Amino acid sequence: MSDNDKPFFVGYLPTPKALRGLLLAVCVLFISGLSGFGLALGVAQDDPGDGAFRFDYGRQTVTGVVELTPYPLLRVTEGNERIPAGHTLMLAGGGKTNVESRAIPLEGQLAQVSGTMLQRGALDMLQLRGGANGISAAEGEVPQIETVPLGRWKLAGEICDGKCLAGAMRPGRGLAHKACANLCLLGKVPPVFVSTQPVDGSEFLLVTGPNGEHLPEKAYHYVAQFISLEGDVERRGDLLVLRMDPDTLEVLD
Amino acid sequence: MSVKYIPVQWNTNKYIYDAVMLLGVALFLYVFLYAAPDILSHERPINSQVHNARAFGACAFVMLTVILCIGPLARLDPRFLPLLYNRRHFGVMTTFVAITHAGYIVDWYFAFSSSNKYEALLFANTSYSQLAGFPFEAFGIFALFILIVLAATSHDFWMKFLSPPLWKRIHYLIYPAYLSVVAHVSFGILQDQQNHVFTGIFMGGAVLVGGLHLMAALQERRADQALLAPTTEWVHVCDVSEMKDGFAKIKLLAGGDRVAVYLNAGKLSAISNACAHQNGPLGEGKIIDCLVTCPWHGFQYDVASGRSPAPFTEKVPTYNLKTEGTAVLVDVKANPPGTYVEPVPAPGQEGIS
Repeated sequence: MSDNDKPFFVGYLPTPKALRGLLLAVCVLFISGLSGFGLALGVAQDDPGDGAFRFDYGRQTVTGVVELTPYPLLRVTEGNERIPAGHTLMLAGGGKTNVESRAIPLEGQLAQVSGTMLQRGALDMLQLRGGANGISAAEGEVPQIETVPLGRWKLAGEICDGKCLAGAMRPGRGLAHKACANLCLLGKVPPVFVSTQPVDGSEFLLVTGPNGEHLPEKAYHYVAQFISLEGDVERRGDLLVLRMDPDTLEVLD
Repeated sequence: MSVKYIPVQWNTNKYIYDAVMLLGVALFLYVFLYAAPDILSHERPINSQVHNARAFGACAFVMLTVILCIGPLARLDPRFLPLLYNRRHFGVMTTFVAITHAGYIVDWYFAFSSSNKYEALLFANTSYSQLAGFPFEAFGIFALFILIVLAATSHDFWMKFLSPPLWKRIHYLIYPAYLSVVAHVSFGILQDQQNHVFTGIFMGGAVLVGGLHLMAALQERRADQALLAPTTEWVHVCDVSEMKDGFAKIKLLAGGDRVAVYLNAGKLSAISNACAHQNGPLGEGKIIDCLVTCPWHGFQYDVASGRSPAPFTEKVPTYNLKTEGTAVLVDVKANPPGTYVEPVPAPGQEGIS
């Protein structure tokens, strides 16, 4: 039942005096509360790490031998201050695209690549410029390049898309980023396994299918999760390549 | 109350309500986007698109939480009813904030590929059979769709067009939408968060919404048990001596309808307790200028006919009354909305007018 002792609010009439103090307090609480939540939530964000597009390095141009894993790599033979000779560079296109159509005709040949570097610690990648400006055949003798098998390994860690992980997005890994990672991997951006324990000195490994094909379909369901998997590891210059066995994929707690 | 439909029937209280709401939202976004980054000691900043998406997403969640607290709070303490008055503006604003969040997400995470970004949103992650890595975006899409439907149908035109009961049912979808937001956050950002401040605020908000609703439901249940009438043709409401002029006694009929019996100038009248606007509790209102006034939005009705004063057209059912001694009894059969019923003189109140 209504009570004539209590103030009665009607929206289109002046607010009863007895309610004004309470409503003023609610307004102050609401405004200060929202500001407080904005601050508390704003400062609670995790550090996305040091990965980034290195526009500050300027455009990088180096020469090397193109390899397909099938993800395109460049075994650098003529480097520069940032990308030394002997380094193995993963190559990507703009956005969530790959450069396979441009790299396949140059497989096993000497090529000059040009683009913007992405770097997170020891992990890096080159986003190539468009067309022949990004990759083109180079003159010179093709040196002998080696692939060293390191045997079968069982590893724990996370499958990421190498480009976002390297700094295209900050943050660029984790379950909240899974759909984005999947979309990158569907675009054949090089996948990278982040191992909890270093393998032959490296915690980042390029991931392929067991027979050197693109990332198996089954693996997409495990992207961004903490998993264990087995596979053959090989060293290509300073980059490790993991030929994963999709039947060994397992989610870890 | 409306005769013709205009976008917003502004008044001073609505201006104040919206100003406070907009100031709160603007400060939340400003502090999150421009003050907080200076405090963070990140070596490199979070991408601005991700940062913006988080700010608007977190703001939408907080706004939705506040909105859902208003209803039960007003049930528990009627002094909070003014917060209910313009709540739909709050809801529409929340929808715009949520759309902005979704816009940043789609234009960032799902752009830059050779696929259409909206199609990519649906196919990029299809791990629906697992909990970890579940496509939490689906929950967000569902919640956003509901919010857009609710905002689009929030105007009184749609309530009249759809009929208040259907409109009300549609707007109860806010609860599945909120649950969906909770799932969206739980399967999304909470899975990655190392700093648990957000987790605490998020869980606190969800528990507050659930707790207030539970408390309001329990209070309503207790009140209903006290009001519940037996299944007879005429139901005893109260003794006249318990009534105050200009106010009502409410009775819950066996069929589930509530009836509000008013004492007005020494005479008794009964109308449905449910306002034709949004089912507001008319019996918790009072008579102002000879008209029953709803405590929610101020809709008014002639207590004898259940009709809003001309030129307004809203009407509610009326009930027949009789007295036995000083006892007030109501006929459980409602009259069609707007049916005039001659007020019954209240025993012992004949001199009052």
